[in-house]
Amino acid sequence: MIVSPRLHIVASCLAILVLGVGAVLVAQSVGAASERILTVFFISLIGVVGIGIYTGNSGILSFGHVAFMGIGAYAASILTLPVPLKTATLPKLPDWLATTQLDLVSATVIAVAFTAVVALVIGLAIGRLEGSAAVIATLGLLIIVHGVIIGWRDVTRGAQSFFGVPRDTGVWTAAIGCIIALLVARFYRDSISGLRLRAGREDAISAGAVGVNIRRERLIAWVLSAAVMALAGALLAHFLGAFSAKKFYFPDTFLLLAMLIVGGMSTVTGAITGAVVITLVTEFLRRLESGFSIAGFDMPPVLGTAQIGIGLIILFAMFRKADGLAGKKEWEERVFHSSADVAESPELRGLQEDTTLRAKNLTMRFGGLTAVDDVSLSVAPGEIVGLIGPNGSGKTTYLNMLSGILSPSEGRVMRGDEDLTGLSSPRVASRGIARTFQNIRLFRDLSVHQNVLVAALSTKGGDDARARAHRAIARMGLAEKAAEDAGTLSYGDQRRVEIARALACQPSILFLDEPAAGMNREETAALMEQLRGLTRDLGIGILLVDHDLHLINQLCDRIAVLNEGHMIAEGSPAEIRRDPQVIEAYLGPGKEH
Amino acid sequence: MKHLLISTAMAAGLALPAAAETLTVGVATAQTGALAPFDAPVMEGVMIAVDEINDAGGIGGDTKIELIQKDVRSDAAQTSIAVQELADQGVSALILPCDADPSLAAIGIVSSAQIPAISTCASSPTLPEIGGEYMFANFPGDNVQATVSASWAWDQGHRTGYIIYSPDTQYTTMPLYFADVFEELGGEMLGRDTHTIGQQDFSAIATRIAALDPQPDVIMTSAYEPDFPSLIKALRAAGVESQIIGSDGIDSPTTFSLGEVAEGLVFTTAGHPTEGSELEAFNEKYEARYNKPPETVFNAVGYDLIKVLEAAVEAAGSTDPQELRDALANLENVQGATSLITYKGTNGMPVREVSLVRVKDGKRELVAQPTPDPDLIPAPRMQ
Repeated sequence: MIVSPRLHIVASCLAILVLGVGAVLVAQSVGAASERILTVFFISLIGVVGIGIYTGNSGILSFGHVAFMGIGAYAASILTLPVPLKTATLPKLPDWLATTQLDLVSATVIAVAFTAVVALVIGLAIGRLEGSAAVIATLGLLIIVHGVIIGWRDVTRGAQSFFGVPRDTGVWTAAIGCIIALLVARFYRDSISGLRLRAGREDAISAGAVGVNIRRERLIAWVLSAAVMALAGALLAHFLGAFSAKKFYFPDTFLLLAMLIVGGMSTVTGAITGAVVITLVTEFLRRLESGFSIAGFDMPPVLGTAQIGIGLIILFAMFRKADGLAGKKEWEERVFHSSADVAESPELRGLQEDTTLRAKNLTMRFGGLTAVDDVSLSVAPGEIVGLIGPNGSGKTTYLNMLSGILSPSEGRVMRGDEDLTGLSSPRVASRGIARTFQNIRLFRDLSVHQNVLVAALSTKGGDDARARAHRAIARMGLAEKAAEDAGTLSYGDQRRVEIARALACQPSILFLDEPAAGMNREETAALMEQLRGLTRDLGIGILLVDHDLHLINQLCDRIAVLNEGHMIAEGSPAEIRRDPQVIEAYLGPGKEH
Repeated sequence: MKHLLISTAMAAGLALPAAAETLTVGVATAQTGALAPFDAPVMEGVMIAVDEINDAGGIGGDTKIELIQKDVRSDAAQTSIAVQELADQGVSALILPCDADPSLAAIGIVSSAQIPAISTCASSPTLPEIGGEYMFANFPGDNVQATVSASWAWDQGHRTGYIIYSPDTQYTTMPLYFADVFEELGGEMLGRDTHTIGQQDFSAIATRIAALDPQPDVIMTSAYEPDFPSLIKALRAAGVESQIIGSDGIDSPTTFSLGEVAEGLVFTTAGHPTEGSELEAFNEKYEARYNKPPETVFNAVGYDLIKVLEAAVEAAGSTDPQELRDALANLENVQGATSLITYKGTNGMPVREVSLVRVKDGKRELVAQPTPDPDLIPAPRMQ
């Protein structure tokens, strides 16, 4: 299923087809040399979008993808190498392989499938790593695969040239491969998996809280991107006819990453832009490399001009356009502003769930510090419970335990007979418990609609997701802003998007961490009305953490007060206002009145 | 290098306007990377020959030589791309990088474009064999060099041997040919070790050899820079005193500056400037042009290459690639700077003289310039 407007996808596909075919026709009319430059360009572009599928959507820079290109190149070449040459140059191949000779298409298909399997195994192993550890692991992958290619002499000829590969990749073959790769990348970006992965890239914690299993989505992107890299490798091998392990190492990694970074990692538009810019510049500089003369002044040949040039372009791009020349949007998303069709929005369904959430004796220790000590609390559907306390009293920690972000040191979280203790946050979300965050955690570069849609798609099995998303947006009064980027909204609107996103999970219990922070009086009043509506119309139980005592007093049926990790009072707003311990905690001792 | 650059510009400038006809030669060599220590000196020699011929009015007085140069960075894929571009530009002949591996990368293009191609100094006999009828070498073959050195070792009374080779390139497997010939003559191989190119640390191999009892009489290797200096230092440091035999890859200034450890080292190469020889004459030209004496035979090998092309153009009476190839394949006794060069009757691996050179007092000393027994020369093979 594709989550972006059909207009965008159609425009993008058409543009890719027209550009691809058009470029070939132009190159053919110019001559053989330009056909070859275009072929190399197409193959590089396949590599660039291949890296982009993973790196762009997940936000994890990969240095390792050229290794998959190498695996694809060697696998396909071994299959297409003419049998007599194969027997002469690779005498130790197993018989079944030595006597096999396939055409380019079947060999490429097999090489792509083989590489995908290898990537799956590697992805399962390194998929648990986060941040810079994940980046370094991809670097390790590149070095290890290079080492294996060098060491596995019987199959790869080791460090020697692998030559005699049929030179079957013409400009049309490369163009078709490139169009396929671009379409795969474009569709993946706006597939459900792609949207979830991009949400995870923007904010891993809140993506988990709306039901996204980031590791699974990363693995999908990893395998898919490896398959695209294998396609690039197979086509490259059959273009060059000869290559060695060096071809799939740092220099080409650098070149492809340069294209991706300069153009913009997160879009297909960016990959194309970067590949065009870098190719033009390197072709130009390579011609200067062998020396030239202007107006009688002879410039001697300077070797390495192209590399220096690429380095300078990267520096320039980083200073001027840190997101790449194309930024973070596809061209069609800029040209065709869609109003994210949220027209029909019938009311959110009432919820059948009516089981109370009970937290029993929760304790959280961080090393020697006990942040929350033996605190029990319950939230029933349809009621609003306030959780207050001075800064550092353990409120947010308590919410994190309830929503699965932290696993409590002691105590249990029960929903009826079901034990929720220690479940991951996506699992908690799938059980109808949603939340917002104290410091807003939106997917800033996704639209309001996409923010909410991710949550709807990732909970309740994604059933009826579009309708749920639309209703949540309408209920929070955001329909007019649905197409805007979440990160560009006002503070109050961002808070409301967070609530809408949580509502799209169709929760029966909702945790709100300081929803009114930063709002003015009118906005707070409007918010209060919207929250009351949630319990009244939908029967949602709300656990509300806030400093605004006015808001808490007005809204809550019950209030619990934390101080230094202990529950010091629980009762109706009137009881809490009179409680001496609460007064002391908030105002200091001796200030009773 | 600077002289080379200026002369390139000069050659290009001179060749274009005056000549009635032009021999356009595509030069795809390794000016950077691991093979640059060989291809860079070769190009110095090439420039001497090109300027000499062009200054005299061109080949046969009317055909100037024009070079189109590209750096292939010692890389197979880059060679393939550069050669394709040169073929697109319609060159009459191609000059390929020094080693068989990058040169092999060009075979598909060379055969389909039907342009004769000569590797600057690849010595693997498998190159023309696999490369087909358009691929030529410009150096004594590995199997021939190994026959010369093994025969010499046997004649010196050495009876036991040890080889150290690297399967990373065709060239570094030359010791396997040596072992074949040495055993054929009746010698005994005490062992064989492998290394990787760029290994740096050879202490494990040195320790293994030092522990042998009795010690091998000769140790043969075709390792070259930067491996060879580390290897010989490690062997000598471990107390190994056997005669060490190397090959043309160590015909470089580095070898003569190693000092005590390299004393007595013997290696095969493409020529030696005996008194009154062509090589001596070439060395004078070299010194006159570059203001320094040549430090390696690869300068002269570059000169040889252009002399071969000149002879081919003269024999063909044309710069047509196909006619040029046929003429080249039938050349006999072309006088190069290092040797007489013959392609007739070969598959593209020229018959040329092999010189055995010894390092003595940090200088080169000619040991012999023998003609190897044809029956002993092993057949070329991929290994």
